[in-house]
Amino acid sequence: MANTMTVLSTEGPLVDNVLQSPVDRYQHSFRRTWMLIKVALLLMVAAYLVWYFTLDRPEKHAEILEHFKYGSIGSEPGGSLFSSVGGVLPPYWVFKALPSVCPEKLPGGYASLGMLYEPGHDLPIGVSRRRRLGIEQVGLNCAVCHTGTVRATPASQASIVAGMPAHQLDIQRLFEFILDCSLDDRMTADSVIAKADESGGRMGWLEKLLYRQTVIARVKAQTVSLRNRIGPLLAGGVPRWGPGRVDTFNPYKSIQFNWQLAQLPHDELIGASDFPSLWNQKPRDGMHLHWDGNNTSVDERNLSASLGAGVTPVTVDHASLARIHDYIWTLPPPKYPFAIDTAGSGRGQLIFNEQCAECHSFTGKKTGTVEEIGAIGTDPFRLNSYTLLFATSQASLYPESEYRFKQFRKTNGYANQPLDGVWARAPYLHNGSIPSIWDLLQEPDKRPKQFARGYDVYDQRNVGFVSNPPSQSAFVYDTTVPGNGNGGHLYGAKLPDEQKRDLVEYLKTL
Amino acid sequence: MKRRVIIFIVLLAAAVGLLTYYKLFRQVPPERFASAEDHFLYGSVGTEANDGVPYWIWLALPRVFPDLLPGPGGYASIGVLSQEGREMPVGFAKRTIGIERVGINCALCHTGTYRLQASDKPIIVATAPAHQMGPQSYLRFLFACANDARFNGKIIMAEIDRNTKLSWLDHQLYKYILIPFTRRALLKQQRVDNNYGWMKDLPPWGRGRIDPFNPIKYRILKQPVDGTIGNADMVPLWNQKQHANTVYHWDGLNTDLNEVVISSAIGDGATPRWVEADWKKSDSESSLKRIRQFIMDRQPPKFPLPVDEAFAARGKAIYDRECASCHALGGEKTGKVQPLDDPALKTDRHRLDMWTANAAQAYNGYTSGYGWQLTHFVKTNGYVNVPLDGIWMRGPYLHNGSVPTLADLLEPTEKRPKLFYSGNDVVDPVKVGFVSTGPDGFRFDTSVAGNSNAGHLWGTQLLADEKHAMVEYMKTL
Repeated sequence: MANTMTVLSTEGPLVDNVLQSPVDRYQHSFRRTWMLIKVALLLMVAAYLVWYFTLDRPEKHAEILEHFKYGSIGSEPGGSLFSSVGGVLPPYWVFKALPSVCPEKLPGGYASLGMLYEPGHDLPIGVSRRRRLGIEQVGLNCAVCHTGTVRATPASQASIVAGMPAHQLDIQRLFEFILDCSLDDRMTADSVIAKADESGGRMGWLEKLLYRQTVIARVKAQTVSLRNRIGPLLAGGVPRWGPGRVDTFNPYKSIQFNWQLAQLPHDELIGASDFPSLWNQKPRDGMHLHWDGNNTSVDERNLSASLGAGVTPVTVDHASLARIHDYIWTLPPPKYPFAIDTAGSGRGQLIFNEQCAECHSFTGKKTGTVEEIGAIGTDPFRLNSYTLLFATSQASLYPESEYRFKQFRKTNGYANQPLDGVWARAPYLHNGSIPSIWDLLQEPDKRPKQFARGYDVYDQRNVGFVSNPPSQSAFVYDTTVPGNGNGGHLYGAKLPDEQKRDLVEYLKTL
Repeated sequence: MKRRVIIFIVLLAAAVGLLTYYKLFRQVPPERFASAEDHFLYGSVGTEANDGVPYWIWLALPRVFPDLLPGPGGYASIGVLSQEGREMPVGFAKRTIGIERVGINCALCHTGTYRLQASDKPIIVATAPAHQMGPQSYLRFLFACANDARFNGKIIMAEIDRNTKLSWLDHQLYKYILIPFTRRALLKQQRVDNNYGWMKDLPPWGRGRIDPFNPIKYRILKQPVDGTIGNADMVPLWNQKQHANTVYHWDGLNTDLNEVVISSAIGDGATPRWVEADWKKSDSESSLKRIRQFIMDRQPPKFPLPVDEAFAARGKAIYDRECASCHALGGEKTGKVQPLDDPALKTDRHRLDMWTANAAQAYNGYTSGYGWQLTHFVKTNGYVNVPLDGIWMRGPYLHNGSVPTLADLLEPTEKRPKLFYSGNDVVDPVKVGFVSTGPDGFRFDTSVAGNSNAGHLWGTQLLADEKHAMVEYMKTL
């Protein structure tokens, strides 16, 4: 308004009326309107950016099975834009691109690690999507470790069973691959964006800008930090977990508490054990849960397992977990899908009632209690990896909230598990060291010393998965490796063979 | 116009003032624990106002600075105990003064553990000496954190943000005020002229030991730094009803239990104003009086293994003859100060020389103006003949914890271990004390100043068999 002459008075500026010509008025109103438009535009852009960066849009499914397999439990990174927390997987587009960015490191893609793909989904079961902090993120959910497959023959179609141990999944190699390829020089914003475009993905220009400016650099920094923490639990540091097994608590020691794993006794870092089944939780509440029975609350166990999947007390999605809780509370174990000799199973039931029920039927007196390690005699590594120090430390998790852990206890043995759906829970014992129930009923020296894990064709005679598959690439489990011992649990080993066969037949029906 | 501005400024100032009060000074009564033992282990003794570390910083520190701790496990790596399922470790109380703060209490140094085998779960004994705990390591950890460049709003907040979603206001408060101020306060406490700088060049306390009075001398009583070494073994607090006629602390520098309770809280960091308010409360409401009752009633733990009764009976006869007049409850000289120049005593004198007549006088004058008084501080010339109840759980022995087991103590000085490891909690059922062969624990070198294992020669002339019998009997005390 340089051409406006103003006169100052004690009441403020006076505008000379002479200059209030129609042209001036028009100019003034135009300028005012233009100013308002500019302010409004700025506000809209600001509002859009606030909306864009604070939007928390999880993958949700009305249908509970679908939600179990693909829904988010909050394990994607969250918190605030300036200090994001949680998560063990890189963002959506990076996760998708990695197998083609480092093709020689994972020639068969994620499926070759035992991740399960279904038609109509671009992500495997157990990987959920969530928009947070302005970008599409992915995270792990319960189904990644608790959905398994089974086939009658190599030629038949695998059926996917929710709640079943993911005996085919090699999660240690999954982590190794993701850490390794995320830090590969070829993993750049350009390569990720190119792969996204190639796959016909819809990546917004703002998201592309973010990838170039911050996302990739942040992923690399966080990957270095994660690798520094859990490095001693990866290849070379400890014996291979192999498919169907995870070390639940050691990663937690470093990720939650930042204990320096290299300072722990090396044996303590050997804690791999079988994925358990998730069905039928209601009758389990109050029983000693986890292999060593360190907690008696299903809810705490669920929240603890979620930490393993990458949630933090800040990012966890309690509403989603509540739905999964309700689902697994009453989810029935899968019916044995093959033929059963009913006469044999009838005879086997009598043997079971006499020999096994006290510890393994839901109504058994000792079911869900901890059997002292000296009595059970199975491999002690998993038990010893969970220390009193760790149990007491867990009481500081979910601090200052109703969810704070109160039930974790150090035990001195392994819990007697109810055997519902036991046919689908092979291999057996806490460390998955025995391929079939038939083998479990043998004296230790007659149990297989080496066998293949992760193959999903069913061995209907011995009850378990075929453990000498034709494939060259199968993971060979060696029972002489520390933590892999197949000794102990001698119950039933002295029965005559025909009674063992009857018992095996009966166990198919549970 | 002007008036409106003034009103606005006044209102703004009032709002800021109120907010400051609410966020930094508002006192919320601490959690009341139903059981007296829980109160002893986790209750507040008023140390949070001055020395309390803001809760979220306290939680984050071991996770941000694991490399400044001696091992994995957070605070447990310096001997802090925890019970399963409890949020706070033993000896730490949480109290809200504006924000939640964490302070220490009596149990930090007066709760110990024992095991029969290394593979057993340790049993926690409230009021036992915390022979596993390194209080100096706790201080030094905090100081090391404060000296580290990572102690800043960005890095510490990143850890806090993983654990909780603070409100916007609390987030700013932590990031821009509490974190820098906590750091500054720790650095200030560390400086030579103010508090703990004096201990930099002195022998370390190690595990189960503390220099209990030098911090009070310099910090509270404003005495000149004199280079003395006051390292002393932590003591049990049980059975005080039976100790009614004894004097307190290793050199008997106070003769009144109430004063010992109050002055120990002050030594831990309680403010005189808090003590004033607390001591006026009823026996069941006052934190310190509740603790006083607890330590009067609590019995020493029983020896956890069978004792050979017949053999112990033989030992009792020798004990009655050789030791009882100074060490049995009700003994003629029990609970009294034995002059250090007694040729049979002559134990390490550093702890005695640490306490001065000036300090005693200063402590007696410290409380002027308050409703409660400290009047019984004195300067003595020796060490107290302590009653031996629960002695099996009180190793290592002598006031400076320089002799690992009772059997060693019954040997002449030159036959006692010159080097051993303290801080282990596995019971040595033969020599009575704790296993001290290492390699875990604090390397205790008896040639270091203040660590001499000489003196207290009573019983050293007995026959080997008599000594064994007496050690057997002492398990039953």
